[in-house]
Amino acid sequence: MTDWWPVFLKEMLHFKRKLLRLGYIFSAMMAPIIYLVTFGLGLGKTVTLTEGTDYLTFLLPGLVAMSSMNNSYTWVASALNLSRIYFKTFQILIQSPIKPFSIMIGEVLAGMVKGIFASLLIILVGIFVPSDFSINLIFLLTLILNCFMFASLGLITGMITKSHEDTATYSNFFIMPMAFFSGTFFSIERIPYIFKPIIYIMPLTHTNILIRKSTLDLDGTISLLVIIFYCAIFFCLGARLIANYRE
Amino acid sequence: MITVEKISKFYGNLKALDAVSFQIGEGEIFGLLGPNGAGKTTTVKILTTLTNPDEGRCLIDGMDVVLNSHQIKSIIAVVPQENNLERELTVYENLLIYGMLHKVKDLRRKISDILNSLDISHKKNSLVNSLSGGLQRRLLLARALLSNPKVLFLDEPSIGLDAHIRRQLWQIIRSIKSEGKTVFLTTHYIEEAEALCDRVGILSHGKLIALGTPEELKREVGEFVVEYLDKEGRSTSSICQKKEEAYEIAKSKNDRVTIRKTNLEDVFVKLTGERILEKDKG
Repeated sequence: MTDWWPVFLKEMLHFKRKLLRLGYIFSAMMAPIIYLVTFGLGLGKTVTLTEGTDYLTFLLPGLVAMSSMNNSYTWVASALNLSRIYFKTFQILIQSPIKPFSIMIGEVLAGMVKGIFASLLIILVGIFVPSDFSINLIFLLTLILNCFMFASLGLITGMITKSHEDTATYSNFFIMPMAFFSGTFFSIERIPYIFKPIIYIMPLTHTNILIRKSTLDLDGTISLLVIIFYCAIFFCLGARLIANYRE
Repeated sequence: MITVEKISKFYGNLKALDAVSFQIGEGEIFGLLGPNGAGKTTTVKILTTLTNPDEGRCLIDGMDVVLNSHQIKSIIAVVPQENNLERELTVYENLLIYGMLHKVKDLRRKISDILNSLDISHKKNSLVNSLSGGLQRRLLLARALLSNPKVLFLDEPSIGLDAHIRRQLWQIIRSIKSEGKTVFLTTHYIEEAEALCDRVGILSHGKLIALGTPEELKREVGEFVVEYLDKEGRSTSSICQKKEEAYEIAKSKNDRVTIRKTNLEDVFVKLTGERILEKDKG
């Protein structure tokens, strides 16, 4: 049952080394802070939301969702891709007498830690800007599920890409549009009706809906179920890719 | 200990392995010899569960490597051709992670023992990136030995090492054999195969073209080689079964004639008409 621990520990040892480099924390915070300043403190003053909340209070949970997505996804996708194709360190895991499921858990948990860490930095900034931003149980649950979901998706990308450049391509096609069009910076109510089916397919849309809820209403429950569905699909697919991995 | 039965492997239209069969006994050092691209690493990848054969089957300790891969993984260890150490972790961390993955009991003591026995304990807390190539190779070996495997696979173990370090490595490999472990190694260094292997298989273009002890293989093609310059000044050689025959040929040639014992490179040249490697400087 604890076979995932050495996989997780390995990633955490790498993470510890990265954290000690000054540039790492800055790079993790840079994009969300730019968005916060540009959209929140700058353009945000001119934005009126139909929900009646101020823009910064709307934006901060979205930035947490986006940042946790980016960091969970990128960490696992890049680390796995590099270890599989360039450093060949993935062979060590594959040639160990542990189940593919354990490799999956270890890698996903490591991705989650990185996503949560990056989110904490945003939350920390959020505390110091003038807004009604607050954290409740739904917020925390959504954050954890979002990290799990995108770490699992990152693992799938890391397993199927044939080069490190491919990882960036997948990111540009799937992650970048999600960051901008799934309710991070503006309400999805403003999106033309014709595009809404696509928007509701995006997993981050449901994270953005759920993370802003104070109570679990019908919309929130549907989004929660969709997120759980994606988590299950991505996790099973990732575990299957590891189980069938051959060079 | 290892049975390989008619395995073939295709990469697209390329037949990397073509119905290769051999057996390796327990406690034996078996060497697979051949030039780059002959299929040595593919054979190791199949035996170590990294890839499946398209045809044929392999057994290790009576277990099928495809059907019982999980059990196989707990009795084998691999020193790969490419350095797959975690470069940004320390020597100790690399061994710790590997030992945990292989569920090694009393791990901290075993790490300490293995670091001492391979004389790298002074580098315990060094990052792998900061180690020399020779020390990294030794660490790869230490990592493989940590789980006390029954079968050790060494894929080109001394590639890129200078002659002195290479000989140190050979000493370690011999000591592994003395512990009763089975060692499967691939190499394109003739000297390495002759120095270490009880038996050798020669691979060329995915086919196993010879199998036996180094002495048997050399006897088969002829035990003596006469090297001389032909009329155009090109280096030429003839392989002879008997010393007298070699002397006869030598007498008929002009100057710069050398008579020497046959080596595995001569065997390979005789069987394939190609060379394994440019003359090994090691």
